[in-house]
Amino acid sequence: MAIDTSLTLQAPPESTPILLPGDALAKGDRGEPLLIGGRCTSCGERMFPRHPVCPSCMGEDIVSETMPRRGTLYSYSVVHVGPKKWNKPFALGYVDLANSLRVFSHLLLADLEIGSAMELDVAEVGRESDGTPIVSFVFKRVEA
Amino acid sequence: MRGVSVVGVGMIPFGKYTEKTLADLGWPAVKAAIADAGIEPRRIEAAYCGTALGGMMAGQRILGRIGLTGIPVANIENACSSSSTALRQGVMAIRSGEYDVVLVIGVEKLTKFGGGTLPLEEEDWEVSQGLVMPALYAMRARRYMHEFGLTSAQLAKVSVKNRSHGALNPDAQMRTPVSSEEVLASRLIADPFTLLQCCPTGDGAAAIILCAASIAKEFRSEAIRIRASDLTSGKYVSGFRDMTVPEITVRGAREAYEEAGLGPEDVDVAEVHDAFTIAELLYYEAFGFCAHGDAGAFLESGATSLGGSIVVNPSGGLLAKGHPIGATGAAQAVEIVRQLRGEAGARQVEGARVGLTHATGGGISGFDHGACSIHIFSR
Ligand SMILES: [Zn+2]
Repeated sequence: MAIDTSLTLQAPPESTPILLPGDALAKGDRGEPLLIGGRCTSCGERMFPRHPVCPSCMGEDIVSETMPRRGTLYSYSVVHVGPKKWNKPFALGYVDLANSLRVFSHLLLADLEIGSAMELDVAEVGRESDGTPIVSFVFKRVEA
Repeated sequence: MRGVSVVGVGMIPFGKYTEKTLADLGWPAVKAAIADAGIEPRRIEAAYCGTALGGMMAGQRILGRIGLTGIPVANIENACSSSSTALRQGVMAIRSGEYDVVLVIGVEKLTKFGGGTLPLEEEDWEVSQGLVMPALYAMRARRYMHEFGLTSAQLAKVSVKNRSHGALNPDAQMRTPVSSEEVLASRLIADPFTLLQCCPTGDGAAAIILCAASIAKEFRSEAIRIRASDLTSGKYVSGFRDMTVPEITVRGAREAYEEAGLGPEDVDVAEVHDAFTIAELLYYEAFGFCAHGDAGAFLESGATSLGGSIVVNPSGGLLAKGHPIGATGAAQAVEIVRQLRGEAGARQVEGARVGLTHATGGGISGFDHGACSIHIFSR
């Protein structure tokens, strides 16, 4: 599958660097957002985000791997406090994916429920102090 | 291995001291501990100072104020476990035979950050994506409620209990009792938590004098022995994790009980890390005070309130006594020593013989918690 990495977490470019590899968020064939994680070629350990070294075997040959776009909501919270930059209230949660990884993410606020099916999307989650939107990946509830 | 005793404890009341420096928070606690031990200050051979956000050379800044200088000083950062880690370093130094008498300090000034949620390490990717400590604990709470039917009213009762204990503690930051209704009606922080289910922001300091058990009688007739001194770190996991089981504390508790040759049935009083209401409930289970899933009912039985069979957080805990993070572990030890000496006044746990302290924290991605330090004391 062709992966278009023009949709990156650093966009817009003047926003504060986010501590994920530049291609952690990409666009698939149909324009859909994709999360790109890593897989260790030595031991098969998967990770998100992709780090330069394997937490299981210390191997450094980590290849990119497209993550499932859907998962199950393990838990969440609607948060009313925290650093100024986040739009308030904001929802945070852990989404369990079929590749056995758990991803921490902002969530779209509607209809959150533990165990519900979630799908990857992209949204503005905050603003830098100069007003620059912070665009990031989010998960939203979908029909199972 | 040499035994280690606590012969002196001191702390300042936790609160907001915006006009004071870290050094001026710390020295009164040290001076109080020295007076409590009745020790000649120059007998102190080394100092271990825990602070998470206090900056460089916190121990030297404090000890400089009172001229206790020229001795080895180690400053220790381990998030909420900073001063319990410092305590463990002191214990190990005496056990090794290197020193006979050491000083342990815990100190923090959080008001310098101006309030709001604790500033976390921005290089952590979950933090960069919005994680704040109340949200992390809130997700644990919501999952626990989902799996075990714990109610918001039961969660609120943790605050009610600890605020009622804190009302009896002159060193507590929050000294007024609250009702369940008030807890639930306070403003939302990170659902299901309202403001009164979150520990307050504040400043504080606590200090402990340790010595080899063989010389403790020189200083105090009723020296308290340290039966276990445990430190562990979280295990990195990139996939699924059961957030209703605080793995790091379960492991640490097992290690501490084994070291002490004691079990949960032996513990009379415990100071555990109730940064948010759900935490105290998870730790009842981690320490084996009740079975997994039963913590809400165990709380409601009154077992952990003053007068109960295993009193948890008689000081008011982090929720009422306050949580100047680097000072917390040392202050927990101060409370347990006072309880075991019978000096805890209106909040005294009658006949307490064995007590434990538990400080854990460090919100970083991939870990349950970064650090956990547990101590078991007996008289
Ligand atoms: Zn590997």
